[in-house]
Amino acid sequence: MEAVKNAFDFGDMPRNELGLAAVVLAFLLSFPLMPHSSFGMATMIQFLMFSLYGMGWNLIGGYGGQVDLGKAQYVGIGAYTTAVMMIRWDVPFWFSMPVGMALAVGWSFIIGYPLFRLKGHYFAIATIATSLVLKDLFEVWNFVGGARGLEIPLKGDFPNWLYLQFREDYYYYYVILGMFLIGFIYMNGFRHSRLGYQLRAIKDNEHVARSLGIDVHWSKIKAYAVATAYVAMVGSFHACYNFNIEPEDTMSLDLSVLIAMMAMLGGAGSMWGPIIGAAILVPMKNYLGSWLGGQAGFAGIDLALYGMIIMFIAAAQPRGVYGIVEAMRARRR
Amino acid sequence: MEELGIQILKSLVSGLLMGLVFALVALGLTVIFGVMDIVNFAHGEFLMVGMYTTLLISPLLGVDPVLTLPLAGLVGAVLGVLCYFGLIRFLLRGPMIAQLFGTFGLMIFLRNLALLFMGSEPRIVHQGWLVGKSIVIGPGVVLESTKLAVAVLSLLSFAVVWWLINRTKVGKALTATSLDAEGARYMGISTELMNALAWAVGGASVGVAGGLLVNFWPVDPGVGLLFTMIAFATVALGGFGSVRGALVAGILIGLIVNLPPVWDAILRSIDAVGLRGLDIHSFKYTMVYAIYFLIMVLRPQGLFGWKQ
Repeated sequence: MEAVKNAFDFGDMPRNELGLAAVVLAFLLSFPLMPHSSFGMATMIQFLMFSLYGMGWNLIGGYGGQVDLGKAQYVGIGAYTTAVMMIRWDVPFWFSMPVGMALAVGWSFIIGYPLFRLKGHYFAIATIATSLVLKDLFEVWNFVGGARGLEIPLKGDFPNWLYLQFREDYYYYYVILGMFLIGFIYMNGFRHSRLGYQLRAIKDNEHVARSLGIDVHWSKIKAYAVATAYVAMVGSFHACYNFNIEPEDTMSLDLSVLIAMMAMLGGAGSMWGPIIGAAILVPMKNYLGSWLGGQAGFAGIDLALYGMIIMFIAAAQPRGVYGIVEAMRARRR
Repeated sequence: MEELGIQILKSLVSGLLMGLVFALVALGLTVIFGVMDIVNFAHGEFLMVGMYTTLLISPLLGVDPVLTLPLAGLVGAVLGVLCYFGLIRFLLRGPMIAQLFGTFGLMIFLRNLALLFMGSEPRIVHQGWLVGKSIVIGPGVVLESTKLAVAVLSLLSFAVVWWLINRTKVGKALTATSLDAEGARYMGISTELMNALAWAVGGASVGVAGGLLVNFWPVDPGVGLLFTMIAFATVALGGFGSVRGALVAGILIGLIVNLPPVWDAILRSIDAVGLRGLDIHSFKYTMVYAIYFLIMVLRPQGLFGWKQ
């Protein structure tokens, strides 16, 4: 009961932030009713997906200060579990998603135990290594389709709620919006939970945290598992949304980095950070891509610009966009 | 059995040569990390810039690719210094996350800039003193002269950097900066200058590596990632910041990557039917990552590392 009360307790947030959140929520709920292009809809779905990925990253990377650059491996596990179960055994999405999450969490325990003996750069690079090993294995594993990946066949008429197959994108939109809201509420609860406080203590100073009786290693592993569940959940959704998955687009280093970048750009270690980051980066990437990338002779200019913007933000405000907000608030006081 | 013996010899030779290439690529990364605790994700892109430099300059000046190496090194050094003063200096003020992302942005930027100007098709040096020549040193064992040249130059670069760090006053200042930047500042060492120097040395060595590599490895804008990852693995194996470690680890990784042919030969010689299907060729880089992961976990400071 305490946990549920915590999850809905937004009392420690500033009034104006809550007001803004309400406006955003109203916008998100009513977006499909407004006139929009299908490109805009796809961008919104991607925005919600990356917000959730970012929340997962933020849990361990932001609150815990453990920079993880291997999140894509859990996207892959979630996506592949759903796809394989759906293709081979006709298992509905709503059943395969929890299984995928469980598998991903299991894997996170296996690699998390040795991983968290490392710190800083060493941890970050080791997570890349595990992710790449898994990706390489999936690329040669015939059971999951090898490098060509898997194609999910249609399972009957649209709209198919059981297998999450729709013709119109707004169905997907509301499914991922539901996940987004649950994820957000859960995150709020996590913030107030025992583990949440432990994690922030670890981030501030590990030695002090240990002297306070916190089992540092185990707390990190637990938080890592929660973060993994977020990412794997969206990975399962990704499989149904795209109908087609391959190791390159679900497990690549680029995806891991993109996930981490969103959270870090918005402001690591805050509730709004990943959402702000995804709200900036996803549209920017999509629109820059369609605006500049499509023109002949200009291939790459969109991503070059994108790289420049990332460099600029990392150099100018290392605490991200939310860091700017906080700095402004501190000045006003 | 004789076939197995030849194959082992062949793999040893090519592994050793390839390993020296990897070591040279990793040298710059380990120097930069050693001095300022920053991991440069754009390292492979520096390599790519070196490769393109040789590829473009050599026909422009009408000289052999090998003679453009100093120029490739110079371009690498200038790029390193530019990056330091334009980006890295600002990143150092922020937390580790900001450093990771700053260099990541640099990686995306350089890679796509190359795509913009050079296009995506792979290119390679087609003629030159080194291209296509080889020395036969035994039945079936062939030394490609390109790889041999890289190996020799790699050893030479290691010698130079080792001398620079261990035998000169500047090297002492570099070491002091890496041990305790604040303390070094109090001693009158311009740490700013030392950091820039580290980036110059790192950039130069990887630029030279690129100039050599393009003689036998095609360059395209995406070539950097594989080498960044191998360089990370090499540096982690050898110990972050250890020059000697990078050399040993590079050779080790070169040998690992050349294991699959030996495995095939073993299977053929013992006629193991059951294991036939086990093709490990596509796993050669996976093995590198896996071993790297194991080493990181078992011995986080690496084989020769002194930084924890």
